Amino acid sequence: MRRKRGQFFLHLILLTILGMTFMPLVFVLDNSLRTNSEMNHSFFGLPKAAIQSAAITNAKLGGESTFSVARSPDKGAVVDQVGYGEALRRMGKQLFEGYVYAWQVLRPYMLNTIFVCLATVLGVVLVGSVSAYVFSRCRFRGKNTLFLAVLSFMMIPGVLTLVPSFLWVKQLGLLNSHWVLILPYMAGGQIFAIFLFKSFFDGLPGELFESAKMDGAGHWTLYWRMVLPLSKSVISVVAITSILGTWNNFLWPFITNSDAKYHVVSSGLYLMGQSQVAANYSTMFAAYVLASIPLLVLFLYATKPFMAGVTSGAFKA
Amino acid sequence: MARKFSGKDSSLVMYAMLTPTFGLLAVFSLVPFLWAFATSFYDYEVGGESKFIGLANYVEYLHDPTLFSSFGNMFFLMCFGLMVVTTAPLIIAKLIFSLRSERARYLYRVLFLIPIVVPGVAGMMIWQGMIYGDSGFLNELLRSIGRDDLTRGWLTDPRTVMWAIVFMGFPFAGGINILIYYAGLAGISESVHEAAELDGARGIRKFLRIDVPLVLSQIKLLTILTVIGTVQGFEGMFILTKGGPGFKTMVPGLWMYMNAFSFQRMGYACAIGVILFLLILTLTILNMRYLRSSEELTAESA
Repeated sequence: MRRKRGQFFLHLILLTILGMTFMPLVFVLDNSLRTNSEMNHSFFGLPKAAIQSAAITNAKLGGESTFSVARSPDKGAVVDQVGYGEALRRMGKQLFEGYVYAWQVLRPYMLNTIFVCLATVLGVVLVGSVSAYVFSRCRFRGKNTLFLAVLSFMMIPGVLTLVPSFLWVKQLGLLNSHWVLILPYMAGGQIFAIFLFKSFFDGLPGELFESAKMDGAGHWTLYWRMVLPLSKSVISVVAITSILGTWNNFLWPFITNSDAKYHVVSSGLYLMGQSQVAANYSTMFAAYVLASIPLLVLFLYATKPFMAGVTSGAFKA
Repeated sequence: MARKFSGKDSSLVMYAMLTPTFGLLAVFSLVPFLWAFATSFYDYEVGGESKFIGLANYVEYLHDPTLFSSFGNMFFLMCFGLMVVTTAPLIIAKLIFSLRSERARYLYRVLFLIPIVVPGVAGMMIWQGMIYGDSGFLNELLRSIGRDDLTRGWLTDPRTVMWAIVFMGFPFAGGINILIYYAGLAGISESVHEAAELDGARGIRKFLRIDVPLVLSQIKLLTILTVIGTVQGFEGMFILTKGGPGFKTMVPGLWMYMNAFSFQRMGYACAIGVILFLLILTLTILNMRYLRSSEELTAESA
């Protein structure tokens, strides 16, 4: 009996903390569906268009066939009598207006980010796994020294290299391109990937390699046919760490890409907040929601590697 | 054993396979690293002539008007960050770990992790507008209970701005820290708990005497990450306050950024970067010494 009550209180406390954690996000979701005038009228409240839709549906179920609906939210005075379908269409349009505008602005940024993420992940996984394979399974002079040299790059903090990196890529003529993001992300991201891949490859049973080599397999076959297919779990961890880093990086894309054509989600959101788009609250809030969807989908699709990825990512520093 | 087959591997092939790694590191990590030190000795403005001035940038920084306030702010952020990271997520992890149902424990861990899908920049802007804004949550809450006199721009009022920044993300539960502590708690063997209970240790006493010492390596890890993070971090201040009002929320990293990209003083910015690097290096080495001893401690007591 006491045990049960204890468990109940645990749930109560955890749910309260969870509620507080999600509160800002709930506000964002709610207000992404409300117009400026609704927000100015009161901070707390559900979207008017949603309430109205519910009322219209209720009336429809009550047997009414025409409904008086404003032609558009900003022309509140012009009211038409319309059928159920048209009424709901207008309500939906009002409800998701913010999302329509936000998507127009955000779409190119999203595509850029996704492209940069994919290219970075591909590069980090390929370069990282090949080097890790060499470090783990081959013998050659200076192996340990070189491996330590790679790891020592982890000690260089971003705050030291931010300014000189900018001057250097400017000299290289890389400003305003996707490469100015992809190549440095690959250079930095591979270090931790090599570390993760190497410890995974070290753990693979040696007999596996011996017998494959007996059958005459060279390093390339071993790597491509045996090691990579066995490494799916660690590849997904590396990929997720890399995606999270790329997706969240703000300063580097912000300073290296001044051309709107190359903005990514994080720098794009910041610039949206500085522009007149921000005057329309619902557009900004809808943009936050849209910007979170890709990682949310990834998270729900690959929860376990995601959780493994973020905890291993913490040891990077 | 592999020697038998290594006849056909020449070291040259291995070096060739490592070329992409070292090429990338050389171009995008080593050059900027060296360039940071080199540039710090120059009076270098973009578009202008660069002139070797020795240690003058460093000397100037010692007399910089932002020096004291920015390091003070950084220290405050660090202390508060350390206080938060060693308490809230650990307590929440312990609460989750105390649940009996395996499924509930997993579900809570997943739910507490979800907020990390929101891009960091968006998270800060949400707090800026939604919570601290003129008609944001805090002010609206105060108005609704009739305390209009207390409303303010939380991020523009010099008396509240620093607190507004550190309380961003309250109750500090979202993200990976809970998972790190949870992994630590899950690693404590059952026999330790049984022995503790036989000795009559229960509740908070048991938590402080048994759990906390045994997750010391996780505490140390998050301590290092927080220390490094606050010395380096200035994105938050850049997005929320730009160091203002006045220099109220200025931190060294942001001052470096502003010198480089607002005032075009690249040499001076690099000198600040080098100082921060040396600070991080010192703190990391100190921490690492500390960390090793904590692992020994864990090994002894486990």
